[in-house]
Amino acid sequence: MGRDRGTSAYRALMRLFPQGFRTARGREMERLFTDVRAAWEDERGRPGTRFWLSVTWDTVRGAAGEWGSLAMETSTRATGVARGELMSQMMADVRYAWRRILREPLYAGLILLLMTVGIAGNAAVFRIFNGLFLRPLPFEDAGQLVDLDETAPQWNLEYVGIAYPDFAAWRESNRSFESMAVYDGGGANFASGGTAERISYVAASHDLDDVLRLEPEVGRFFTEAEDVPDGPKVVLLTDGFWAQKFDRDPAVLGSSISLDGEPYDIIGVLPPEARFVADAQVWRPLQEKVESSRGWYLTGVGRLRPGVTMEQAVADLTSVHKGMIESRDVNRITSPVMSSLRDRYLGDVRLGAGLLLAAVGIVLLIACANIAGLMYARSLSREDEMAVRLALGAGRVRIASQLLTESALLAVLGAVAGAVLGLWGSGALVRAMADRFPPWVTFELDARVFGFGLCLTAAAILLFGLTPALRSARGAHAARVGRTTASGARRRGMGLLVMGEVALALVLLVVGGLSALDVWRLGRVDPGFRVDGLTEYAISLPAARYPDTDSREAFLQAYLQRLRAEPGVEHVAAASSLPLSGHWGWFYVVEGEAPRGENDANPVVLQRVVTPGYLETMGVQLLAGRGFDEFDGREEGAGVILVNETFARTRMGGVEGAVGRRIAPGTGIPDDEEDWLTVVGVTRDVMHYGVDTPMRPGVYQPWRQIPLSSMQIALVYDGPTADAVAAARRVTADLDPELPLASVRTMSESMDRSLWTRRAASWLIGTFSAVALLLAVAGLYGVISYSVNERAREISVRMAVGARHGQVLAQVVRQGMTLVGAGVGVGLLASVAAGGLVSGILVEVGPREPAVYVAVTALLLVVAALANFVPARRASRLDPMVALRGE
Amino acid sequence: MIPSPMKPQWFQILLALARAPLHGYGIQRAVLERTDAGIRLWPAMLYRSLATLEEEGLIASVAAPEDAPDDERRQYYALTRTGRERLRRESDLLARWVRAAEAELS
Repeated sequence: MGRDRGTSAYRALMRLFPQGFRTARGREMERLFTDVRAAWEDERGRPGTRFWLSVTWDTVRGAAGEWGSLAMETSTRATGVARGELMSQMMADVRYAWRRILREPLYAGLILLLMTVGIAGNAAVFRIFNGLFLRPLPFEDAGQLVDLDETAPQWNLEYVGIAYPDFAAWRESNRSFESMAVYDGGGANFASGGTAERISYVAASHDLDDVLRLEPEVGRFFTEAEDVPDGPKVVLLTDGFWAQKFDRDPAVLGSSISLDGEPYDIIGVLPPEARFVADAQVWRPLQEKVESSRGWYLTGVGRLRPGVTMEQAVADLTSVHKGMIESRDVNRITSPVMSSLRDRYLGDVRLGAGLLLAAVGIVLLIACANIAGLMYARSLSREDEMAVRLALGAGRVRIASQLLTESALLAVLGAVAGAVLGLWGSGALVRAMADRFPPWVTFELDARVFGFGLCLTAAAILLFGLTPALRSARGAHAARVGRTTASGARRRGMGLLVMGEVALALVLLVVGGLSALDVWRLGRVDPGFRVDGLTEYAISLPAARYPDTDSREAFLQAYLQRLRAEPGVEHVAAASSLPLSGHWGWFYVVEGEAPRGENDANPVVLQRVVTPGYLETMGVQLLAGRGFDEFDGREEGAGVILVNETFARTRMGGVEGAVGRRIAPGTGIPDDEEDWLTVVGVTRDVMHYGVDTPMRPGVYQPWRQIPLSSMQIALVYDGPTADAVAAARRVTADLDPELPLASVRTMSESMDRSLWTRRAASWLIGTFSAVALLLAVAGLYGVISYSVNERAREISVRMAVGARHGQVLAQVVRQGMTLVGAGVGVGLLASVAAGGLVSGILVEVGPREPAVYVAVTALLLVVAALANFVPARRASRLDPMVALRGE
Repeated sequence: MIPSPMKPQWFQILLALARAPLHGYGIQRAVLERTDAGIRLWPAMLYRSLATLEEEGLIASVAAPEDAPDDERRQYYALTRTGRERLRRESDLLARWVRAAEAELS
């Protein structure tokens, strides 16, 4: 069976050969193939990849050779040029092209440069685009995978996460999925050999391996029986963690590791693809209760049955979901949503990435237009040479092939240089992006990138190379009498090229300008909190050693006090989540507010838990009332809370009068009077989600009221960050040597990070639009110079009969600026259309911001006028006698 | 025209046929053994070489010899007189080179 399949595969391969060769030798070759394969099997076992690679390579190379000699013979018969001669003719073309290139280094250099610039940008951006959107995900039949989530527009949340009871019902009753799973991420303290470090874990339902079709490298995945509340403590190591900590020793199976002070048995090792889920070190079973009340916090992924569309699946899950309304009333508010994995995680950069691709495409187009212009002008200047060669008996095909060889040689050289430059440049970009996208996004070079480069180069060569080649060969043999009449048409053609270039450049400039202004304004938005001099990190007190509120408080108090006493420390405080580090939502009810039903709109409130001194540490401004002190939150029934400006305005009728009123967590009037919290102050909003995202209503609660064990520490330090971190490590090690610091960074790093993607995209678009402007203007300069040279005689005559310098200057400039003006007109219209497309990436700037349009148009006009002025001046300085004498 | 020195696989094919006519697989095995598995002639390479050598008149297709195993009739190849002369010249050339190399290296 396998044997026959092999033979028919070989037969298929042999189709690569020309018919004649196959008829003559095919049967013999097939026999030899079967003999060789049998021998291979005897000597080395089953013929595998190596065997087939060799066979394929042999066949492909042989077939290419046969076709080559066949082509040679055919052309020999057709042209009467002998076989060896054709080869030497091609070599002669290449040599001739080389000589011409070397003789006109400026011209060749220009074309090389244009090509390099055009291809480099495209190669770089395509590599990024490919990594983000085209490379298949590393899973079997990845097309069937969808991201699962719940949406709650009533809470003003697009995605709330999945509640376990909902998931359990979906999994039970759906008819659209082969399998589905949920997981959550978290951190744990991993202790080994006396030191501790913070690692991240994935807690997954037992079916995640089925959904993703993951095969453990060693051991097994956890079973359904292990994924039950209070089930066994088992973990799988991820591939990276296994390599890093256990040296890939298979004997880890059966041993155990300590997480948060408790032993977990190692039952397996995950394959590298598991990185897709999260950059975690270990996976453990979720072990959630079906009647869980932890709310919406899970991430879901499902594998659709073959042939089921996403719409059908959503309808199916929605009907399952509605069926639960009897038992869980909140399900009126949330409903299932689905998207492809890529759209969910990369949807918001798709527009930007597409835009960049379009931008580099435009740059290449302008570069090609310039090259075409250059070649066109030069082919005209070589008409004499071509006419002579035709007259001496050179074939038209020969001349065309010579010209094409020349442009192809330059284009290929330029493309190779561009590809190398682009990939090298994108390497830096890729390294900078490493942890800004989900872990499954990689930017390795693959066949798609190379194919794209090849197609682009071929397209470019055809675009600018073939036209002048054909034209010369066709037009050159015509008598050169009609020259002056033909020149008008020529100038029009080149004028159109320039107009197009100007229009395209303007569109890019507008987009670049909008995006630059947007990023600039975002950089100046006041975030409402301290950025400079602030170092942040996270600690997590393990329950094993800090079992109750008292032990945690004792530690936290001593810890903050010790830090405060360190020289250089100006302020220190702890918070559940510092700005730019994530959302923890809760519902709040305001005393006296009209009662709302469970299913009414109820925008979620950002809840933060902080220690006294937090407002001073973070530089958050108090608009009314006071901040927390050491006594807040200690007394039962005397709970306090701070609200932000948005909360006060949207829920309490304004900042005035908010202080002293009472609010409570939850969705209804609390049963217990003691659950009311008194508002003691109103703070200014901080841009918690980044300066490019609007702020929600928010509150602060004192740590005593919600004594969390995982907190972030904010440290204001007068001195280098390294010293601040060293001080923090010293104090931590003194108090608890097994407590690791996690996510250590400065607030300005977090800030840069939150704007990085926008900044990088803006820089790239800015660079591309500058290049486009430069190229368009260079094209303009070339065309005007050319037309001045061509019309030297006419200008001279006019000057001889009395035209003044100024008149000539004005006329040439006017002629150039007419082209520019037309280009600008078209460009502005196109920009208005393009502005609508890019509005999705703008925050602080509208897509039709007039200032940007005016500024970039002015810039373009000034630069274009300069480019016009130089050749115009040359024209006005012409000596009439020189030109006239020449006639 | 076959250049001198010729491609190693051509030389090996001629050499394999020096003693007796062989079929394709026979040539492949002979070359493989003589070169200690250094030259493995895959089908396309072998048959393109045979085509070239035949065109140049160095080898010729012949009928299977009488004492060939009772197999399907395979195409056999034999060295022509020109081929034998060419092989001798080629090996003289190589021998001169080897002598020169040994003199230099000793």
